[in-house]
Amino acid sequence: MSALVEMRGLGIRSAHRTLVEDISFDIDAGKVTALVGPSGAGKSLTARATMCVLDVAPGLFAGSLRYPAHDPAIDWFEGVRGGGARAQAALLERSRVLRGAYLTYSPQAASSALNPGRTIGQQLAMAIGRRAQPPADLGEEIRRVLADVGLSPRAAASLPGELSGGMCQRAALAIAVAPKPRLVIADEPETGLDPVLRRAVVELLVEVCQVHGAGLLLISHHEDTVQRLAHAVIRLPGRSGGGER
Amino acid sequence: MINRARTDTPVVSLRGLRKQFLVGGALPWSPKRVVNAVDGVDLELREGEVVALVGQSGSGKTTVSRLILGLERPSSGEIWLDGQRWDSLSEAERRARRLPYQYVPQDAMGALDPQQTALEHVMETLTVLGGCAPADAEAKGMAMLRRLGLAERRDALPREMSGGEQRRVTLARVLALEPRLVVADEPTSGLDPDRRGSVLEDLIGNLPPKAACVLVTHDMSEARDWCHRVVVMLAGRVIEEVDLHAARPAHPYARVLFDPWSGPLPRGELASTGCPFRPDCPDAAGVAGGRCAAELPTLRPRGPEGSGAHRVACHAEGPRQAPSADPAQVGAS
Repeated sequence: MSALVEMRGLGIRSAHRTLVEDISFDIDAGKVTALVGPSGAGKSLTARATMCVLDVAPGLFAGSLRYPAHDPAIDWFEGVRGGGARAQAALLERSRVLRGAYLTYSPQAASSALNPGRTIGQQLAMAIGRRAQPPADLGEEIRRVLADVGLSPRAAASLPGELSGGMCQRAALAIAVAPKPRLVIADEPETGLDPVLRRAVVELLVEVCQVHGAGLLLISHHEDTVQRLAHAVIRLPGRSGGGER
Repeated sequence: MINRARTDTPVVSLRGLRKQFLVGGALPWSPKRVVNAVDGVDLELREGEVVALVGQSGSGKTTVSRLILGLERPSSGEIWLDGQRWDSLSEAERRARRLPYQYVPQDAMGALDPQQTALEHVMETLTVLGGCAPADAEAKGMAMLRRLGLAERRDALPREMSGGEQRRVTLARVLALEPRLVVADEPTSGLDPDRRGSVLEDLIGNLPPKAACVLVTHDMSEARDWCHRVVVMLAGRVIEEVDLHAARPAHPYARVLFDPWSGPLPRGELASTGCPFRPDCPDAAGVAGGRCAAELPTLRPRGPEGSGAHRVACHAEGPRQAPSADPAQVGAS
């Protein structure tokens, strides 16, 4: 089975310092890969780089990124290393085809993932529309994806503001898996939740990814979650010199 | 780690506290229903004591903390602060006496004035509430910022501060008033784990020696490390009070809360009669006579002498010996 992501020697710097250096990892299909490290270690930066989103200047100075399950021949960082903001902006545009299809992103706060002016069904329809093979019956497919995350078909007609926080979280997860991505990147989905809900949300995330056959890159601060669920762990070293308190 | 001396003098006494809310339906004309947010809470906090209020979202912990400070009126029951009945006072009377009883909000950014610097926030509190002269307020404000490691950030605006620094300014405002009671509603919410400890160290390490503190939290390791006692709430009731330095949580719900990976997760269905946790309880089947379905369990002392330090509301719990296992391992999540 080929890897979904093959990152080698990632190095990113800001104008003042090196933010991450010499980070290498593979993310395998159907597996949970945890990305852990202390605050300021560059977890979010690394996760964004995995999606070809580089938004620090001068930015990428080393590394290669391949998506072997998409096209093993392409090094997406080719021509971007040392190229500064302009090369990174070009990469962002060039890789647009990947995001929302080959890989999707589930942000920390469900509220920031949902469009408050569109129903959950409309947002799911857009996400399903990113698939290479559109389903024969869109309505039925929306009901099925909602059922996968434990939501009733009635949720499709609701605006995000009409749902509870937990239901919004499930809806955001449904939207992340609806395009049938190969990889879901979840950015600290446990933040702000009580311990019981924390386990419930992460287990649901893992289960839904496995049902859809997607790999999962899970950014987490919780060692117990990582130990229980992750098949592989990417540990980023802390930044030397300490950080702000 | 918690290292504060306690006395026996109560600062807060809650007796049979209840709070009901009328909640409307999805539409304006939908029938309203009564929600028992707090349903018979008895609790005492003594001088110097730090107590964690834990429970899942909707368990009533934030409502209890608001009731203590008079930010909500109880439906029934009594609130006593420093030996004085608090809930029967008018709002004007409470306002005149509120200074020693302070609140640290969850949303630090929302609580700060975007146009005021760190020092101006503390100075304003000291002059308007504390009655200090401006020169005194500046000296006292700077002293407090220095204690919290914010001296170099005195002229920073909230948007120029990190999340941790914003929390520290809300703490500096409250601590500068030398309060008798601090109610902190999830003061570390949204911070990275490694920054949470330092915010709690700043809060609890700088409390006046005889001040009591209520820490509302979702984080069980915070409750274990920074509090003398943990109060676990479920469906508006206290189901367990435990000193985690001496014992492990005993109530089946508290056990799940402190170690959510220990067994199957509760589905969250609460029974309307008997013990609310009964539908998800692994121990209910072993209780004779169907007591869990028929009778609401009340808090009863647990432990060798029934000393009252550990109290549990569970029919499956009888008086028994304290466990010999290492309590330091509790709530490591």
